[in-house]
Amino acid sequence: MSTAPEMPAAPAPPPRGEAFYFDGITSKRHDVIVEAAASALRIIDDSQSHVVDAWNYADLRARSSPEGVMRLGRRGEVALARLEVRDAALAAAIDERAPALDRGGAADRRLRQRVVVLSLAAIASVVLTAVFGMPVLANKITPIIPLRIEKKFGEAIDRQVRTMLDAERSSEAFLCGAGAGEAPGRKALDKVVQDLEQTAHAPYHFHVEVVRQPVTNAFALPGGHIYVYDGLLKKSETAHELAGVIAHEMGHVVHRDGTRTVLESAGLSFLFGMMLGDFVGGGAVVIAAKTILSSSYSRHAEAAADRYSVELMQKAGGDPKALGAILSRIAADKDEGFELLRDHPETKNRIAAINAVSTEGRPQPLLSGAEWKALKAICAALPDSGASDNQAKSPDPSKPPTRAKPAPQAKP
Amino acid sequence: MHARARTSCRLGPNAWPNFMTDVAALDPPPLPPVPLPPLPAPPIGGPPPLPGMMRFLGSEGAYWQLRIRGAALLLVTLGIYRFWLMTDVRRFLWSNTEIAGETLEYDGLATELLVGFLFAIAILIPIYAGIAMATLAFELPDFASALGGLALFVVFGAFARYRARRYRLTRTVFRGLRFHQDGSGWLYALFAILWWSLIIVSFGLAYPWAQASLQRYMMRHTSYGKLPGRFDGSGWRLFVRGLPLWLVSLGPLLAAGGFAVSQIDWQALGSVDSDGSLKIDFAGPLGAEALIGFAVGGLGLSVLFAILLYPVFQAIVYRWWLSGLRFGDIAVTSRLRIGRVYVIYLRYVGFVFLFMIAAGAAGGLLFGAFFALLSAVQISTHQIPGRELIGAGVGLLVYAAFALVLAAMHQVLVTFGLWRAAAQSAEISNAPILDTIEAKAGLSSALGEGLVDALGFGSV
Repeated sequence: MSTAPEMPAAPAPPPRGEAFYFDGITSKRHDVIVEAAASALRIIDDSQSHVVDAWNYADLRARSSPEGVMRLGRRGEVALARLEVRDAALAAAIDERAPALDRGGAADRRLRQRVVVLSLAAIASVVLTAVFGMPVLANKITPIIPLRIEKKFGEAIDRQVRTMLDAERSSEAFLCGAGAGEAPGRKALDKVVQDLEQTAHAPYHFHVEVVRQPVTNAFALPGGHIYVYDGLLKKSETAHELAGVIAHEMGHVVHRDGTRTVLESAGLSFLFGMMLGDFVGGGAVVIAAKTILSSSYSRHAEAAADRYSVELMQKAGGDPKALGAILSRIAADKDEGFELLRDHPETKNRIAAINAVSTEGRPQPLLSGAEWKALKAICAALPDSGASDNQAKSPDPSKPPTRAKPAPQAKP
Repeated sequence: MHARARTSCRLGPNAWPNFMTDVAALDPPPLPPVPLPPLPAPPIGGPPPLPGMMRFLGSEGAYWQLRIRGAALLLVTLGIYRFWLMTDVRRFLWSNTEIAGETLEYDGLATELLVGFLFAIAILIPIYAGIAMATLAFELPDFASALGGLALFVVFGAFARYRARRYRLTRTVFRGLRFHQDGSGWLYALFAILWWSLIIVSFGLAYPWAQASLQRYMMRHTSYGKLPGRFDGSGWRLFVRGLPLWLVSLGPLLAAGGFAVSQIDWQALGSVDSDGSLKIDFAGPLGAEALIGFAVGGLGLSVLFAILLYPVFQAIVYRWWLSGLRFGDIAVTSRLRIGRVYVIYLRYVGFVFLFMIAAGAAGGLLFGAFFALLSAVQISTHQIPGRELIGAGVGLLVYAAFALVLAAMHQVLVTFGLWRAAAQSAEISNAPILDTIEAKAGLSSALGEGLVDALGFGSV
């Protein structure tokens, strides 16, 4: 538009000064005069004979530069033409005219704030996904996992669980039924399990083990491994009660509750691990095993397993209400010892639901008196911790508060 | 900065301390004997520095500020800020590195790194899921999947580093032109894995040739504008310089191990005594305890020497690497001094030591103050609701903050220190060529950077 001033000595009002110019086509450094004119930034050849280029202020962008140097490029540039201004007054004048330049760092601070805010939003979103999305996702995926894979998976977790159970008591075998005098108990247990399995017609082969620990609990792994603690065995008064618990755990296996839980926790660790950048984190099986050992299933899953137990017990000719009986006994004990206030009303509801779906009928004995006695003694080495033989209605003061593991909730 | 530049001028090549000569004697031919006048470092805007000189302009204080603020933001954002921090750091390092009077420019964007990371995650997730599924489906033992994961990690890691280098080069602008890199990341990964296997098999003796070969591959595929790069460092040269280090640091271990092995009675080993137990007198006249003692002692000495000599090793490798870089007729020479690298590490060790003491003192005081406060208001810790959760949270926070500060110290004192020392030690020849180079088009994606990040290799 306007022509360059003819004489350098002319008192031109726009600020001007020396600068280096690179045209982005070759690496040659040109010494130029830069004039911060009103319309555009004009780059004038050193000899002042012609205008090399005129840059619109709106297009100017700051490029990374050392302290004291203003390095300019242009928005959407293809050739990386650069202008380096070292004259502080001229740099200030350009900064004043170009809106996108950020010499004071205000835009930089805004960006940083936005990153922090968005990161916090992302964290919140991940947490919400973890709490609400993961269960839904796990519910959808669990049913489509092939049985074969689930069983292999269960084997892997089982190996891990065994080492965990073993680590806690190294003096004796951590599983009962193999020691001296324990074989008859093992035989009786196998009989009960076989009865249930044949009746169930489930696509799983169930391995039931008794753990030599005074915990009143039982748990199931994906694929058919079931562990009953000796503490729970000691609490059961009849074979029906034990069978009811085992049938309940079979329900968890058939409903794939363990698989779902592991999927969920794996998804969680993956989600958080990814965000924190530690992405390859190993030991997924360890996490899975710990999850199974320490977590309780949802109320819904427990109720479904209870119904499964009732149906299976009825079909097998056992007493479907026995599960309710042992549940209430465990809950009564817990009330004395622990503050698990939540458990009690839930247990009451569960027992009511069990009784509601149970049909009246005369249960057939699952085991003979001698067999039941042998089964009760399957863990010969463990000192009799429960007063179960003479009606365990009284609280059991000898029971130690269990380790950090929150397992002994009324899961069965 | 001003004073520092002056210092490095005063201690020019003619003023090297004598203890350097054993290594310096093996240096490449000395620089053209241009008498360096004891100039003060020209401030920006003043007269341009000597042609070909490299300088570093940024102050350590500014970098501390960048890193400490970055650590705080990393803590708050659970690490998401790392893409922005990395970009800021590179902007700082690049734009303060001056070559022949012009500074570099980093024009990468944090969002590119973020996208690259997400892209990498999208590639890695199905792969890892596939490994897990295959392990379950084909009844592979656990170690097989671990091995498979490790192999993928190594291959992808090498690939990613090559691609990350490409990203960084194409985002490096100098005098209005970009750097470029072509070549195949997979091929590089193959070479890298083969060479590193050789390094392991040869107890490290293959390292010089491995470095030379890999650097040659990388530099052959590097260009500044249209000016092609190459690498002229020779593996032999590095080998000759590094051999004394290798002998001193691995010598005790090899000698003790060799001696122990030579004393073993191989025929007695594994055979059975008359009472059915394994023979234990296979260890020769000195006995097994003595041999084990020698071996452990040798290992200890080796580790000690290796730690003490590590700065020498780094100085030698840096100098060799810098002095091997070529772009057309432009050659880089480095005069990085071993003493300088030692000072960098000693400062780091000193800072870490002081920080540990300070953190211990502060932690103790806070702990005491907390319980004093509790007893003052007569609350026992058992009465605080959610105390376990709060305790775990505070513990995690303290741990993360501690780790972040230590990482920042390493970044500032070692990484930054070495960068600055390397930049200030270097000089280029034939600087006038820099006025004649033409531009070449082309950018690259940040996938490699994303993989590097997802696989957990932190770097600048």
